[in-house]
Formats: sequence, C-alpha cells, structure tokens
Amino acid sequence: MRRTTKRLVVDWPACHARGLCFELLPEVIRLDDWGYPLIDDTVPRALLGQARQAVRTCPTLALHLVRDERQ
Amino acid sequence: MTLSFPHPAGTGRRVTVSEGPALLSGITDGPGLDAHELRYGALPVLEVDDLVERVERVEVHGRGGAAFPFARKVATAADKLRSPVVVVNLSEGEPASLKDAALVALAPHLVLDGAAVTARALGAHDVHVVVPGESPVVGRAVRRALRARRRSRDRGRRLSWHLHEAAPWFVAGQSAAVLELMAGRPNLPVTTWRPTAEAGHRGRPTVLSNAETYAHVAHLVLVGEAGYRAHGTSSEPGTTLLTLDGDLDSDRPPAVVEVAFGTPWSDVLDRQRLEGPLLLGGYHGSWLSEGQLTRMPVSREELRAVGVSLGAGVVLPLDSGCPVERTTAIVGYLATQSAGRCGPCHNGLPALAATLAAICDGRASRECVHELGRLAGLVERRGACAHPDGTVRLVRSLLTTYGDEVEAHAQGTCAYDGTLTPAGAA
Repeated sequence: MRRTTKRLVVDWPACHARGLCFELLPEVIRLDDWGYPLIDDTVPRALLGQARQAVRTCPTLALHLVRDERQ
Repeated sequence: MTLSFPHPAGTGRRVTVSEGPALLSGITDGPGLDAHELRYGALPVLEVDDLVERVERVEVHGRGGAAFPFARKVATAADKLRSPVVVVNLSEGEPASLKDAALVALAPHLVLDGAAVTARALGAHDVHVVVPGESPVVGRAVRRALRARRRSRDRGRRLSWHLHEAAPWFVAGQSAAVLELMAGRPNLPVTTWRPTAEAGHRGRPTVLSNAETYAHVAHLVLVGEAGYRAHGTSSEPGTTLLTLDGDLDSDRPPAVVEVAFGTPWSDVLDRQRLEGPLLLGGYHGSWLSEGQLTRMPVSREELRAVGVSLGAGVVLPLDSGCPVERTTAIVGYLATQSAGRCGPCHNGLPALAATLAAICDGRASRECVHELGRLAGLVERRGACAHPDGTVRLVRSLLTTYGDEVEAHAQGTCAYDGTLTPAGAA
C-alpha cells in the first residue's frame, strides 16, 4: 500500500511573514528576500510532527498541511 | 461589414467589430432579442449529460485565458449533491481585451443563451453576470438584454438573473475574486482550497466561465454540431475572437474580429506587422519572435507547440519601440495592479519592475538579467490568483524570445531605437 505524502501549502493572503514556520522547520522552509516562506515540495515523514507544530504555531494560521495529490 | 461600439473604458474611442463567420454573423441585424430569435429559433432544453457530450465532442475550451475544458466544469458541477450556480464572468481584467465587451454590445443573447442552456441542464436556478464596474457600457448592454428576455416566452422563464459590478482593478476578474464579490466581500482574490466547479459560490458547485465561452456553447446548441464544425479544422473546430490593438497606448483603432481556427495569421494582420515583434495573449501573455506567426495558422495547438498560449485572444503587434521598453511599461503597470494581499506578489512585482526599468534604461549590470530570472522564481505560484504568474510569464517570455535585446539594453544599446544614452551621462 502506498503511503500518502503530505506537503505544506501557504494561504498567501493570510501570511504576514512572521517567520515562525522557518524557525520550527528550517529543514523544509527557507525565507525569501522579504521574509515569506519558500517551501520544499513534500514533507519527509520524519519531519511530519514538526510540520504539524509549525502549522499550529503560525500566528496568522496561514500554513496548511495537505495531502499531496500531485502524484 | 463592420460595426463599432464605444470603447468600454470610456475614452471616447470606438472599437470596430467585423462581421464574423459564427458568433459575430448576426451583428448587422442588431443586438435585439427579436433578431436573435429570428436567426436562431427556440433555445433547446438539454439534459446535462447531453450538453456535456456535445461540448466535449467539439472541445469548447474556456476563452478567459486558461483554456480549461468547459465540459469538465459542467460535469464536475453536475456530479455534486447541492444545487449548482452559473456565473458569466464579463469583468475582463486584461485591459487590452475588448472581445467580451464587443459580444455583449453586439450579440448579448448568444452569451445569455449559453448561460441559460447550461443552467437549465444543471437544474440551476440562479445565473450571475459579473460586469466590469469601470465600463458602464457593458453593464447597460447586459441590463437591456435581460429586460428584453423577461418578456420572451421561450427565453425568459425559470431562471433568476443577478447582476454584479466588479471593482475597477486588474485582479477583480480573477475567479476567486469574483466569488468574493458575489458573496458580498471585497472583490479581491483569496486562497481557494477546492475547484470552483466543486465548491464555488457559497460552497455550491459553480460553473464560472468567460462570456465568449458561453457564446460558443450557445452557438453549438443553436446551430448543431455540423453547423459548429462548418468553421475551423477537424482537430480544432469553431472560431475564436481576437482583439487587435486593444492597448490604450496603441496608435491604431482597436478592433475585434472573429476568425476560424486554421485561418493563416497573414489573413488577420498585414504582413509588415507580422514581421515585427508581437505580444500574444495580452499583458499576461508571451512575446513571439519577429515573423514567427507569418507562416502559422490561428491554432491553439500549434501555439502550444512553441510554448505560447492564445490566452484571451489579445494580439498586440509592436509597431514602434522595442520589446524591452514595452515589457518594462507593462510590468510597471502590472506591479501597480497587485492587490497587495500576497507578500511575494506585493514585493516581487515592484522588484521585477524596478530591475526591468534599470535594464531598459541601460543603468544595469549583466547580473541584473540573472536577477530578473531569480525574482521571477520568487513570485511564481506564490499567490492566491493568476496575476503574479501571468506577470512572470511575460517577463520570462521576454528573456526567452528577446534575451539578446535584454542583454543589449543592460549594456546601454538598443537594436530597435539605436544607442541609449547611459544614465548619468547627460
């Protein structure tokens, strides 16, 4: 059985570049010139817990973990 | 035979429209309902499967720019339990596109028939028509046509029509922004998590399409498949509307024409104009190299093969100036049209515009050309609507098609206008 992969997506109008996601998940998230997150495609399984925490911690609730349906 | 109507931006100019083979075949009879009913007869009521199948067989694609198959939208909306909604999007954000305004000015009932036949097939009760707020001519034409239909025995029944006026900004016509407007919120794009056809207006399945798309659907249903296939090629049946010189900066009068797919571009534009640079698809479009269209037919497939989209059918030949200057001016404008809600677009478009301006004026190093590509990457697919992506498409196509000219500008020269004066030298 194929395990479903997850990816992080940003609700762009909600994101205010506070940068907490980058603090919590630097393995997957970098910041662009203006402090907005640049996110690697899929989240490795080992980092799913941290990814969930980043989603919960985002002060504007702009980060979402969704099933990767692109494959 | 050509007609004209006032430019929707209210500039005092008029837009000429030529009689066409299909959608624009009846325009000399006037935009009234009587003439329309005399020409086309009664509007059939179709089952949804029948409509989907008919539309699929001739491959009607969305004409707002994204070319999404119309049949798939209808099939998706029909598949849901909640009652669907139909939306006609007339709020063309693209300033150089005038074809949807031309349609409602000269053949409004074709557009409304397309929406009506779709709504009836889906069992939808509500049809929403979104008109651009800054173009009162469009709203007036739609209101007049809807009033006439109320008195019609065949076309006036069972549907409830709602008119909305979009805000006067570029991103107002983005589908997510249109849904916000309909819900009574600011007419700005938001993040959507599900396709509009599945969950659009107030969460209901929603078929949201551009005016020309509905006109093609109506034409197909009214004249039948054979009549629809009378124009175009076997792989691309039918016609498309094009706006020529719709740009407000253009010296030539803007024109809307309807051409069958497969028509040589040399029948659409003078040879001399085809041999210069040409921007296809509008401000969110792509540059074609000089003379590239000379031997090509009007064809979505052949354009796709060279990495270009017909978009909403905007054709802007460059009669003077150079592609770098033109792109710089357009990107400068597009940067002012960001809604400012999404950080990468709000910050990235002005950065792109500034870098392009520096290159254009010859105040840039060669690294600036790489910087353009890097900034484009920071903007692309990082927003709630198609505005940043469309702007990036234009910048990337300039780099791909006129890369040498961009490099030359960065060094202070221009192959089109002679040598630039380096900044600070004067």
